Amino acid sequence: MLEHYISLATKAIFIENILLAYFLGMCSFLAISKRVDTSIGLGLAVTFVLTITAPANWAIHHFFLEKGALSWAGLPDVDLSYLNFIVFISVIAAMVQLVEMILDRFSQKLYHNLGIFLPLIAVNCSILGGSLFLVERDYTFMESTVFGFGSGLGWFLAIASMASIRYKLRYSHVPVHLKGLGITMLLTGLLSMAFMAFSGIDL
Amino acid sequence: MALLDKKSRQVIKDPLMNNNPITLQVLGICSALAVTVKMDTALVMSAAVVFVLTMSNTILSLLRSFIPSRVRIIVMLAVIASLVILTDQVLRAYMYDMSKQLSVFVGLIITNCIVMGRAEAFATQNPPGKAFFDGLGNALGYGLILVGVSAFREILGSGSLLGFSVVPQWLYGMGYENNGLMVLSPGAFIILGLIIWVQRSLGKIEES
Amino acid sequence: MRSNAYTLFFTAIITVVLGFLLSIAATTLKERQELNMNIDIQKNILRALEFEENPEIPWTVNDVQYLFTNFIRGIVVQQDGSLAEGIVPANINDEDEDKLFPVFLKFKGEVCEGYAIPISGKGLWSTLYGYLAIHPDGKTVKGITFYKHGETPGLGGEVDKRWFTDNFKGKSLFSDDGTLVSIAVVRGVVDGESKTVQHQVDGISGATMTGKGLTNFLLSDLKKYEPFLKRIAAGDQL
Repeated sequence: MLEHYISLATKAIFIENILLAYFLGMCSFLAISKRVDTSIGLGLAVTFVLTITAPANWAIHHFFLEKGALSWAGLPDVDLSYLNFIVFISVIAAMVQLVEMILDRFSQKLYHNLGIFLPLIAVNCSILGGSLFLVERDYTFMESTVFGFGSGLGWFLAIASMASIRYKLRYSHVPVHLKGLGITMLLTGLLSMAFMAFSGIDL
Repeated sequence: MALLDKKSRQVIKDPLMNNNPITLQVLGICSALAVTVKMDTALVMSAAVVFVLTMSNTILSLLRSFIPSRVRIIVMLAVIASLVILTDQVLRAYMYDMSKQLSVFVGLIITNCIVMGRAEAFATQNPPGKAFFDGLGNALGYGLILVGVSAFREILGSGSLLGFSVVPQWLYGMGYENNGLMVLSPGAFIILGLIIWVQRSLGKIEES
Repeated sequence: MRSNAYTLFFTAIITVVLGFLLSIAATTLKERQELNMNIDIQKNILRALEFEENPEIPWTVNDVQYLFTNFIRGIVVQQDGSLAEGIVPANINDEDEDKLFPVFLKFKGEVCEGYAIPISGKGLWSTLYGYLAIHPDGKTVKGITFYKHGETPGLGGEVDKRWFTDNFKGKSLFSDDGTLVSIAVVRGVVDGESKTVQHQVDGISGATMTGKGLTNFLLSDLKKYEPFLKRIAAGDQL
């Protein structure tokens, strides 16, 4: 069983990276990857929030929304799965708020490092994407947690690598119209190709 | 276009050409790329975004003087999410195969930065008519890029366009092969990077 | 800044209005969605059983319903392979899922031309759902289809493509001495010289895990039907 979780995590981190293979979380990726230290901060925050929201949304889907999920309340025929999107996004927004408040209360240091990124995260597609994927793929509670953590870590890795590459890029001569967004997209393409090499890992 | 007065035309034309939301405002790229392997999915996705963006812009503009500023963001999210759910439900009912292919990416329109971005920047400050055209223009600009990327990816990657093969058989006979990279994710990044490059060179735009 | 009461009032109104609209949309569209899902499943049973669809003119809902009612008969078998009387596949309860198994028979006139059984299990990311069709001889594969999966497009997602599924056709589920061996998806290409070539198909490059999962659940699903398939292979009529 442990092996199963390890291979799921490896898949989520490297082989099918949520950013490089599914294009999720691109907006903040492009905007933030200009600086290494902020990239690491945002990467950590995304990992953190994904690890929490994935199991939370799993539970909500499983106990409230899914077809037949309300049978514990005597309503076995109710199917609220059409409310998935709106409930998930609200849970994510609420979770982000909660994390912000907890950090503020208990760890001022972490709050100062991560706090500024938290509002950015509520609209990061990788978070909502993670929750939608776990429904689509019928994950169990543990699988959702591992998948959330793995995806977050994968996103962290991608943005941290990109920030480092862009740091080095300052000293090279990029054609003037390619500067900025253009070259970043091309580099992301190359990075994505590099990550595809991990699919050679036999799990 | 005679129906539109000059100002509406400007509002609709601006994002299509000079102010393209994907390349210049760097918005909305997230959900865009995963559905660009084939052109038909990209077209349906664009149509979904056109619907959601024009409707959300119009509705939020109508409500703009009633929405309390403290709960503004959550109200916007609720309206957008409801429109997306509606789109998803309709797709499931009338275009089942397509909705299977688009899978989670319809849902991700909610977090598409362009929808929230236009709502916040335009719809809440302008009358419904203008907001409608702003939404339409932005969504069409977004669709243009999406369909453009998908056209390149489908022609180069699968040798077809909208499912019809366009690469002549004699070319394969001469040893031409479909480029498998275009079907995979790096293809999307690279095509989009090149499109941005070409567009910026033509428009003489430089990153500050 | 507006008062708290107004804010609350406004949020409540919005919630009620949106919730109301969404529920109406969901309930009115539900029937059509369920019809779509059923048609999709029926379409896959037909495809597995080698009903060819003209790619230029895809089947309409009516076509699928016509073919399904006229040429397909659903039966339910028990663990020992015997027929469960008085029950059709659609009526199997959730509790009986591991005791009663559905089979779909293709009929041309009175002649049975094949059997389709549902298969499902974990691939790499997701649960795959599909149908495996078997010849009237009870051991040769007629076809395989997948109608629902969340595997990566271009990699594991290739499972539902013709180039992959066509490889299953004509492969054998039982060895010569009659033991169930099922069919394995190998890594890379099947070695044509090997003795087990009848039980193997080419893998999808870059999707080892999907292939492995498919191999596993195919075997475990076939085990449930083993007594039934042996009965048919022995020439039993239903």
